[in-house]
Amino acid sequence: MTVLVSRWGLVLALFISAFATLGVAQAQPERGTLRIAQPVEWGGSESLDPYSEFRLYDANARLYNRLVQPGADGAPAPELATSWAANDDSTEWTLQLREGVRFHDGSDMTADDVAYTLNRVIDPEFDTPVKAVLGIMESVEAIDDYSLLIRLSSPHADFPLLLTDYRVQIIPEGSGDTIGATGIGTGPFKLETFDVDGTTVLAANDDYWEGTPKLASVELVPIPDQQAVLQAMLAGQIDFFPASSSEADLFTDESKYALRVLPSGGWEAFVMRTDTAPFDDVRVRRALRLVVDRQEMIDLVLGPDGGTVACDTPVWPGDQYYADLACTQDIETARALLAEAGYPDGIQLDLFVSDLSQDWLPMAEVYQQQAAEAGIEVNIIQTPSDGYYSDVWMVEPFTATAWGQRQADQILNEAYRGGADWNETFWNDPEFDALLDRARSESDAEARSALYHEIQQTIWEDGGSLIPFFVNSVDVWSSAVQGIPDVPYNEIPWHKVSVTR
Amino acid sequence: MAKLIANRVVAGMATLFLVAIVVFFLTDVLPGDICTAMLGRDARGQALTRCRESYGTERPPTERFAAWASGALRLDFGMTYRRDVPVAELIAPRFRNTVILGLAAAAIGIPLAIILGVISALRRDSGLDTAISSLSIMAMTLPDFVTATLLVFIFSIALGWFPAIAIVNVDAPLNELLPNIVLPVIVLTLVMVAHILRMVRSSMIDVLSSPFVQAVQLRGVPSRRVLLRHALPNALLPSINLIALTLAWLLGGTLIVETVFNYPGVGTLMVNAISDRDLPLVQAMALLLAALQIGLSLLADLIALVLNPRLRTVRG
Repeated sequence: MTVLVSRWGLVLALFISAFATLGVAQAQPERGTLRIAQPVEWGGSESLDPYSEFRLYDANARLYNRLVQPGADGAPAPELATSWAANDDSTEWTLQLREGVRFHDGSDMTADDVAYTLNRVIDPEFDTPVKAVLGIMESVEAIDDYSLLIRLSSPHADFPLLLTDYRVQIIPEGSGDTIGATGIGTGPFKLETFDVDGTTVLAANDDYWEGTPKLASVELVPIPDQQAVLQAMLAGQIDFFPASSSEADLFTDESKYALRVLPSGGWEAFVMRTDTAPFDDVRVRRALRLVVDRQEMIDLVLGPDGGTVACDTPVWPGDQYYADLACTQDIETARALLAEAGYPDGIQLDLFVSDLSQDWLPMAEVYQQQAAEAGIEVNIIQTPSDGYYSDVWMVEPFTATAWGQRQADQILNEAYRGGADWNETFWNDPEFDALLDRARSESDAEARSALYHEIQQTIWEDGGSLIPFFVNSVDVWSSAVQGIPDVPYNEIPWHKVSVTR
Repeated sequence: MAKLIANRVVAGMATLFLVAIVVFFLTDVLPGDICTAMLGRDARGQALTRCRESYGTERPPTERFAAWASGALRLDFGMTYRRDVPVAELIAPRFRNTVILGLAAAAIGIPLAIILGVISALRRDSGLDTAISSLSIMAMTLPDFVTATLLVFIFSIALGWFPAIAIVNVDAPLNELLPNIVLPVIVLTLVMVAHILRMVRSSMIDVLSSPFVQAVQLRGVPSRRVLLRHALPNALLPSINLIALTLAWLLGGTLIVETVFNYPGVGTLMVNAISDRDLPLVQAMALLLAALQIGLSLLADLIALVLNPRLRTVRG
């Protein structure tokens, strides 16, 4: 009898313990795994070094932190730096760093690490595309453990904005030679496996300073073919798909997908070489821009929700310095300008495109129709996408181009300053360059804003870019994923993201 | 006989050498190179010159060809541009995956095609024959990416039976690969069955109406024995070359099918190597493909020689 009782007791105990574990399991659900496709865009030479031109894009924001992040209003917000201040002429910046942040290897993040990271960028021996953004830094030195002094070669009132670039991530002191393989940062996830051809696994960094991640891990799976990525998303094998506006219709099933259409600062455009006839005549350039009905072009090329109108300036509506210009189609003025410039009977032009972007050819075709109304005969020339950026763009006088989102100061200096590497319109106007200098050194925010507006007005009136629109980004997430705010992919706080399947 | 075989082997080698020349110089004249592919927007001025110097792409093509060809003779295809590992090391595990996929497709597709071909021949001009012919031709005419997309839509997206694309490591064990090859095998089978089937059908019809089969039948040999023992081996002879070419096609990595299914084989590697302008990789794989074609058709010739004594005399 006693045996029997104890046997039943045992069964009961087992039951209770089983329910107890169940109860615990319900209270603390298993953390999920987020699966993201990575395009193997560098063909296997991918590196975890955020400063490498072959950086593994999807690992960057998860392994590391920046000093400063873009805030909701386009102004800089704290990340690893908690505050910053400039001297009177904005040539010296002091940054205060967050205390108690640790790298994945357990070491404390201090001003020495930050100084090392930033000095590496301006090291003449080190070749990084980030130089184009931060080359203005002259020296970086640690004042004490958590403060830092950065000297600039010329005044820059918006220097912290430059630090929001998604590549400017902080790495440990002295790790330059190893960071490409170790990926040691301060971010919400730490490297578990790095395999460009297989699955790269990033595991939760439970010690993360912003809070424990709600995911157990993030897996980056290599899928080079865009069609295969689409299939994987439709079959539920991956959790995220950056769609084009025409693909959005595939993801209307709300039980499976969450669709986010977000305005972005990415743009596609035609550029004229302002140093080559007939584009060296400002009247011709102006006429070529006035003939565009931008909304119609958006509707036809991207679809009605595909983008927002741009008035030929690269500063997008989300930027704090965006100038709201008007650029309605004006065929009559365009005709008059052409006649004045010596083309009363119209003009013939060659426009070079390739299929590097699927939008370029439709854009060119719409432009061809719209321009014809003003007597402009556009001859579309399709070139191979291979070698387009070396053989056609910035070589032929009238070509298609595309850019990712950049903030005002960065894009204006990268593509519009005389002699800049990517000055695709070959615009060379010392007065304009002086205006750029004045804008970035003006310490009064309102006056600075006014200067940036003047710059955009000048580009709209005289420049060589024909930027008809900014493209909306269409992000598709699996409905199993929670905690994604309406911000660009780069700015998602990954430690808040969770997956429940 | 020995002389004949020697002739064929020498001709095969010569073909391979010609292919090597064509591959090398053809990939060389394509627009764009490793540097424009890698640098993209930065491919201009000093950065471009420096990059080209570091890859030695500025040296005269004949000089580069000599270096490459002498390496290839020793099966040393150099380092890949992108990954900084020996080309052979990159190809080997992917070739294994392609062989697994190819052999699986061949093991299903080839017997299926032969059986269907024989049935069609036996039931010549019947409703069954017409049905088999038209269905197989339809399967062949549909481009493989269309078939693949349809199958993915039905079996992965709607039913969820198989993964839509392969998400596996390159060196994954066989049991991890298997669920991923089901759909690609079906696509490949659909594409290849029609060719072999039609060949088998028509030669089977010829053989069945030939005097020697009639003679065997008149002697009262059971029809099953007539078919399997006498007619089929003779009917298969003309198909051997076709089967060899099909095998070569399968083992060389079926570019589109592998890419669509993200299958980690040589086909996917080839496509990516081309878009990355990783020329050492492209050239080595093109040679591998050519060697497979040449080797397998040589093998088919030899098998035909063994099976058919009439071919063994050297003419002229």
